[in-house]
Amino acid sequence: MTSMRRFMASPTRNSKALCLAGTALLAALAFFSLFCGKYPLTLSGLLGGDAMQWRVFWTLRFSRTAVGVIGGFALGVAGFVYQTVFRNPLASPDVIGVSSGASAGAAAGILFLSGAAAVTAAAFAGALAAVCLALALSSLDRSGRRSTIVLAGIAVHSLAQTALMALKLTADPERELASIEYWIMGSLNGISGYAVGGNLALCAVCAAALFALHRQILLLSAEEGEAKLLGVSVGRLRLAVLGAATLAVACVVSLSGLISFIGLLAPHGARLLTRRNGPGTMLLGGLLGGALLVGADILARTAAATELPVSIFTSLLGAPFLIYLIARGRRDV
Amino acid sequence: MRLKKCTAALLALGMALSLAACGAQPAESAPAAAPAATEAPATPETTETEKAAEPAEEAGEGAVVLDPDGQFYAEVPAAAETVYPVTLTDQAGREVTLEAEPQTLVSGYYISTSLLVALGQQDKLVGIEAKADTRPIYARSAPELLELPSVGTAKEFDLEGCAALDPDLVVLPLKLESAVEPLEALGIDVLLVDPEDQERLNAAAALLGTATNAQDRANELLAFTEMQQGRLTGLLAGAERPTVYLAGNSDFLSTAGGGMYQSGMIELAGGENVAADITEDYWATVSYEQILAWDPEYIVLASDAGYTVGDVLADPNLAGCTAVENGHVLQIPGDAEAWDSPVPGGILGSVWLSGALHPELAIDGENMEIINDFYETFYGFTYQEF
Repeated sequence: MTSMRRFMASPTRNSKALCLAGTALLAALAFFSLFCGKYPLTLSGLLGGDAMQWRVFWTLRFSRTAVGVIGGFALGVAGFVYQTVFRNPLASPDVIGVSSGASAGAAAGILFLSGAAAVTAAAFAGALAAVCLALALSSLDRSGRRSTIVLAGIAVHSLAQTALMALKLTADPERELASIEYWIMGSLNGISGYAVGGNLALCAVCAAALFALHRQILLLSAEEGEAKLLGVSVGRLRLAVLGAATLAVACVVSLSGLISFIGLLAPHGARLLTRRNGPGTMLLGGLLGGALLVGADILARTAAATELPVSIFTSLLGAPFLIYLIARGRRDV
Repeated sequence: MRLKKCTAALLALGMALSLAACGAQPAESAPAAAPAATEAPATPETTETEKAAEPAEEAGEGAVVLDPDGQFYAEVPAAAETVYPVTLTDQAGREVTLEAEPQTLVSGYYISTSLLVALGQQDKLVGIEAKADTRPIYARSAPELLELPSVGTAKEFDLEGCAALDPDLVVLPLKLESAVEPLEALGIDVLLVDPEDQERLNAAAALLGTATNAQDRANELLAFTEMQQGRLTGLLAGAERPTVYLAGNSDFLSTAGGGMYQSGMIELAGGENVAADITEDYWATVSYEQILAWDPEYIVLASDAGYTVGDVLADPNLAGCTAVENGHVLQIPGDAEAWDSPVPGGILGSVWLSGALHPELAIDGENMEIINDFYETFYGFTYQEF
């Protein structure tokens, strides 16, 4: 039971300070993101009520920043949840096929539907279908083994990959294939205020639900016997928690395409900083995820004359940070 | 064809020389602008009217001249017959000797197929690239091509299928270079072409013209292109150049940077590509913000765009953009072929666009005549019938 006490420990002063610092970092980056981009926005123009500048600010700049903040936060939190529930440091949304489901959905949308909103909807449907299938398959096994859901996820993942490959094969290389490839690389480009509202709201609801369930999530990481002793209905709770986390991820990736590394890196960064596994760490994981995505997106839209895929920068920024944290941890020991 | 009424002897000479050079040692001269060898100023026409000579000089090509009426013309030389065996240097720099005039041809790329049709070689084709049914120009000019066996795509070339057709000559795009060795091992001659821009398309036309003993047709095609380039340069010399955003095939937010074929097409049509500073040589992705910052006067959609003019006009993210406000959103026609690609008729993209970008010149009718002339001459159908 000593391990339980460690998991359930309330946020310490240390993690509170870290969360404050994380919030400040995210806020600073978000502010910077609002005023950095290809359209020349000026403070005097905005204050003077220039209609064009306001339109660019609200529909393009603000929504892009909002997706960066909320999306990155959700990816970080979802990553934390996956790693905790599966007790696997490598777990990420890919494990239960949500990313590949979204990719296959987006590819189908690009081939058979028209318009960006339709592609987003198709990606969301694909992600949701993958998750439902994975959860349904795993519920066939009544023994409640943790590995079942991972295996079901791997099966769904390969299924979605096969569908994606078949769709790519039929795609026109000049037109559709290029769109599919670019979608898979992930980017916040093209996001506008006209299409993001529903996704972001649902994403925020899911993240809030996960925070409300934070105690139960930590219990799920305990040995199953211990969790049962504490009166937790392990199987059902696990489904609910994973469902909420995956729904949040589906909301994000259907808007942005695949974004690598955040779900894996942000929670590890938070854990290495706080050296514990409590709700403060979950929050910090979200904040780091948001900061990473907003920071990467700022670079993706300013580093070159063209828009670059955001995943290049999430990895470029994230990997050295993770290595630094690991090295620091070792030195302290 | 009014365009062919007059003569310009030096253009003829220049072309004949450079094409002959193509045949003999094209390593140096192939990539070329066949009509570059032009000591044109000696022609009576050019010396007669100084005004007339100017545009041609500006364009850097003496081959195109104006007659006193201001009408552009160019003359097609009586080209030499190809004497076999002939040693050619293809666009990969390989030397290939053809022992005799090839009687059966296989083309593994739509541009070379289209080029061979323009050269009048469609009857010799025994196999072409896959997805021929997606090219309306085949159906109109040489429907028999649709019945031919496919030798695959540039991604997946059907080597065995190609060998089974036992052709005298196979024409492949540069990206299928790996197929050369096995084909040559089977005793099949292969020419690699790389028609990725106007200059390399011209070189490919000259190369295939010599290889198939159709130098006269190749010369005609090159003269047509040359003449249109000169005509547009002359017509648009003093015109205002509206800014143009070219929206790519796959996505509205993908565009052609300054290094791309499409950018040259816009410049020649008297427009200014807003993305000219982007140096990438493939479709580049930009943001709505960037387009609004450029605020182009015209938005031009690629021929094969997967979205419509209506989609762009209705896109709320583009509200306030000058082109959208003025309804200046157009799509390059693709009824015959995609004019925004280096196909033999690619110059028609600039011809068509020049009329759209310059209503003040009222040249739409004249342009349509030129487009009709082109398809009648080289493909045997009337464009307007579409």
